[in-house]
Amino acid sequence: MLRLFFNESIKRGLVQLVRRQLYWIVMMVLPIVCTVFFLDLMKGGVVERVPVGIVDLDNSAVSRRIERNLDAMQQVSIRQHYTDYHEALQAVQRGDIYGFIFLPERLEHKALSGQEPVVSYYVNYAYFSPASMQYKGYKTTTLLANGAIAKTTIEATGLLSEQGVMNLLQPVLTQIHSLNNPWLSYGYYLNLSFIPCMLALFILLATAFSIGTELKYGTCREWIASAGQSMEFALFGKLAPHTFIFTCTGWMIQFLMYRVYDLPLNCNPWHMLLAMPLLVLANQGFALLMMCIAPNFRFGTTLCTLLGMLSFSFCGFSLPEEAMYGWVRALGYVMPIKYYFLLSIDQALNGIPFYYSRYYYAALIVFIALPWPLLWRLKRECLHPVYVP
Amino acid sequence: MTTDRRHNPLLRWLHDIYLVWKREFWFSFHDEGVIIFFLVLCLVYPVLYALIYNTETAHDVTVVVVDDDRSADSRQFSRMLDATPEACVVQYVPTIADAQRCMHEKECYGIVHFDKGFGQRVHRGEQAHVTLYCDMGVMIRYKQLMMAMTAVQQTFNSQLLQQRLSVVPVSMNSGSIGNEQVALGNTSMGLGSAVLPAIFILVLQQSMLLGICMLHGGSRERRLHNQGVDPLEIPAGVSASILGKSLCYWMIYIIPTIYTLVIAPKFFDFPQVGDLRGILVLVLPFLLASSFMGQALKIFANDRESTFIALVFTSLIFVFLSGISWPRCSMSPLWLIAGNFVPSTWAVNAYVQMQSNGATLAQQSTAYWMLWVLTGVMFVLAYAVERFICRRRYRRMQHYAKRDAMALIREEYRRQAIDVLPENINQADFGIPGGMLDEQ
Repeated sequence: MLRLFFNESIKRGLVQLVRRQLYWIVMMVLPIVCTVFFLDLMKGGVVERVPVGIVDLDNSAVSRRIERNLDAMQQVSIRQHYTDYHEALQAVQRGDIYGFIFLPERLEHKALSGQEPVVSYYVNYAYFSPASMQYKGYKTTTLLANGAIAKTTIEATGLLSEQGVMNLLQPVLTQIHSLNNPWLSYGYYLNLSFIPCMLALFILLATAFSIGTELKYGTCREWIASAGQSMEFALFGKLAPHTFIFTCTGWMIQFLMYRVYDLPLNCNPWHMLLAMPLLVLANQGFALLMMCIAPNFRFGTTLCTLLGMLSFSFCGFSLPEEAMYGWVRALGYVMPIKYYFLLSIDQALNGIPFYYSRYYYAALIVFIALPWPLLWRLKRECLHPVYVP
Repeated sequence: MTTDRRHNPLLRWLHDIYLVWKREFWFSFHDEGVIIFFLVLCLVYPVLYALIYNTETAHDVTVVVVDDDRSADSRQFSRMLDATPEACVVQYVPTIADAQRCMHEKECYGIVHFDKGFGQRVHRGEQAHVTLYCDMGVMIRYKQLMMAMTAVQQTFNSQLLQQRLSVVPVSMNSGSIGNEQVALGNTSMGLGSAVLPAIFILVLQQSMLLGICMLHGGSRERRLHNQGVDPLEIPAGVSASILGKSLCYWMIYIIPTIYTLVIAPKFFDFPQVGDLRGILVLVLPFLLASSFMGQALKIFANDRESTFIALVFTSLIFVFLSGISWPRCSMSPLWLIAGNFVPSTWAVNAYVQMQSNGATLAQQSTAYWMLWVLTGVMFVLAYAVERFICRRRYRRMQHYAKRDAMALIREEYRRQAIDVLPENINQADFGIPGGMLDEQ
C-alpha cells in the first residue's frame, strides 16, 4: 500500500515537471546560462590596463621616466595627457579615465636637491576594483622612481655596492603570499561564491513555486490524496525529481567552474561533488521551511525571493562577515548557501583537511531536517486552501 | 466636445491615453502585490542594503605571528602591525604548522612570519624579510592586510634609514619623492559607498519590471476566465495603451525615485555631491525606458507569480553588466554590447559620476542621450510585443473561447499540468480586486 502511494506521488511529481516548461528553464537553462555569464565575464581574472591620465607639470627627465614606468605597468594604461588638474578632473567626471597621476612643477629639481616633492594620485574610488589596481600601479611606480634617484645619488659616492644601496633603501622587505590565488584573480574570488548563490536562488524559487502552485490552483487536496494523505510522501514525490535535476545541473556547473574555466579545486573532487546534493537538499529544506512558516503562495515566494536575493550581500561574500553588524552577520548563518560558501573556500580554494569543514557539511544536513516539525502547518493549509491574490 | 473626440483621431488618441493611465493607476493601487513592488520594495531595499554595507570595510583583520627571531625589531614590527586600523595580532604561535592550524580553525586570516636572524640582518645593513601569508576567501581581508603591511614596512624602513644615515656622507634626503593618494568620488574608500548608488538605481528598475509583469500576469488571468477578454481593460490602440501605462508607472515612481536617490543617500551619508536637478532630469528617460522595457518583457509573464522566477535573477546580471563591480573597460565586446541595451547600465554610471564625483549632466551627456535612444528602442520593442504577440494571442484566445467557453481554462490547466478542474473557480481567486466587477 505504502509503495503504491510512493510510486503514485513520484509519478505525479515527474509528470508535472515534464509538462511545465518553466521548470526546465529554471532548473537547467537559466542556471547554466548565468554560470557561463559570470565565468565568461571575469575570465580575464584581473582588471588590467585601467585607463588613466597624467598631468605632468614638470616635463623633466624624472617625470618622463615616471610616466614611462607607469605606462609599462600591467595595471594601468595612460590614455591622455592633461595640461592641468581641472582638465584631468573633468575627464574623470566624464568617465573617460578612472584616475590620474599628478606630477608637480619642479619635481626633478626638488627631488635632487632634497626638498622632497610630493607626487599625488587621484583615484576614483566610486569604481572599486579599478581603483585598487590603480593604487597599486601608482604606488609601485613612485617607489621605483624614488629608489632609482636615490640609487644613482648614493652610488655616485662610491661607498656602497649596488646591493648595499638596495639594502640601505629597503632594510625590511615584506613578501606577501596570497594563498591559492597568486594572480589575485577577481574571478576566482567572486565566482566561487556568486555562482552557487545564484543556483541556490533558483532552487529556492523553484521549490516555493512548485508547492505554491498547488495552493493557488486548489489542487493540493488531490496532491495529498494521491500520496495517501501523507504530507511526507507528497513532498517526496514532488521534490525528489527536483533534487535529482538540480543536482545534475549543479554538477554541470561545477564541471564548468573547475574544469572548463579552471577555478581552483585543491581538494579531493569528491568533497565538492558531495557538497552539491547537500546544497540542493538544504535549499529545498529552507524553501519548505519558508512555505511552512508562511503557507501561502505569495508570502512564501516573496520570502524566498527576498532572502535569496539579499543572501548575495549578507552572507559575507564581498564584505567579510566580521565587519558586519551582529544581526546582519547572524542573518547570514540562516542561509544554507553561507555554509556551502565556507566549505568551498576551505575545500576547493584552500584544500585543507575535511575535518575543518565538518560543521559546514553538518549544517547543510540540518537544513534538510529543519522543516519536518512544521509540516503540519503546510498540511493544514493544503487541506483547507485559501488563495490570497 | 464628445463628438469632437470621436472625429478627431488625435484627440481620441489623447483621450485613450488618459483613460488607460487612469485605469492603470487604479490597478496599481488596488493590487497588494504591485504595491509591494512599486512602493514597499523601493522603501525597504535601500535601507536593508545600506545597513548591510554600512560598515564600509573590514577593520582589525586577525593575524597570528610566527616569530622565529624574537628580537626587539621583530617584536616592534608586530606591535606596529597590531596598531594599524586594518590588522590585529591575535596570537603568537611557535611554528608555521600551529599558525596554519589557527588559520584552518578561522581564528586568523593571515600569518606573519619572521625568519631567524631578522633583527641581526636589519642591524648588519642587510635586507631582512617579513612574510605574510594571506587567506584569499574574501578579497577585502587581503586588501586590508596588504595595506597594513605596506604602511608598517614604510614607517619601519624610514625609521631605520634615519639611524643609518651616518654611514653615507650625502644628504640622504636627496632623491626622495613623497607620494599621496587622494580618493575621488568615494572618500571613505569603502565598499558600501561604491556599490550602493548602483543598487539604488537597480532597485528602481527591477521593482518596476516586476510590478509591470505582475500587472500583466493579472490581466492575462482575467482573460482566461472571461473568454479571452479582460473586462477591466480599456479598449485602446496599441500605442495609446503603452504610452498611457508608461505614463502611469512613471508618475507613480516619482516618490520612490526621490526617496531612493535623494533621501536614502542623505540618511545614510553616502556620497551625495550631485546636482539634484541634473539627477532628476537624468532619471526621466531612465524611468521611461524601464517602463517600456517592462512592457516588452511582459511576454515572459504568464501569470502573476511566474514573474518572480523569470525576472528576479536578471537583477544580478544587470548589476554586473553595469560595470560597477567588474569595470566595463575589462569586459569583452559581447557583454559591453549586452550592457548597452539595459537602461540601468547608463543610469548607474551617470548617477554614480554625478552623485559621487559631482559630474554635471552635460558631462554625462552620452549616457543621457543613450537613455533617450533606449527609450525609443524599448518603445518599439514594447509596441511590437503588444501588437504582434500579445494582441494576436488575445484574438486567438477569443476565437477558441467562442467555440468552447471552458477551452481557455482547460488549456491553461493543461499547461500548468493540472488534471482536475476544481469545483468552483470564481473570479475573486484570480486577481480581480474585490468590487471592481460590480463597478463595471
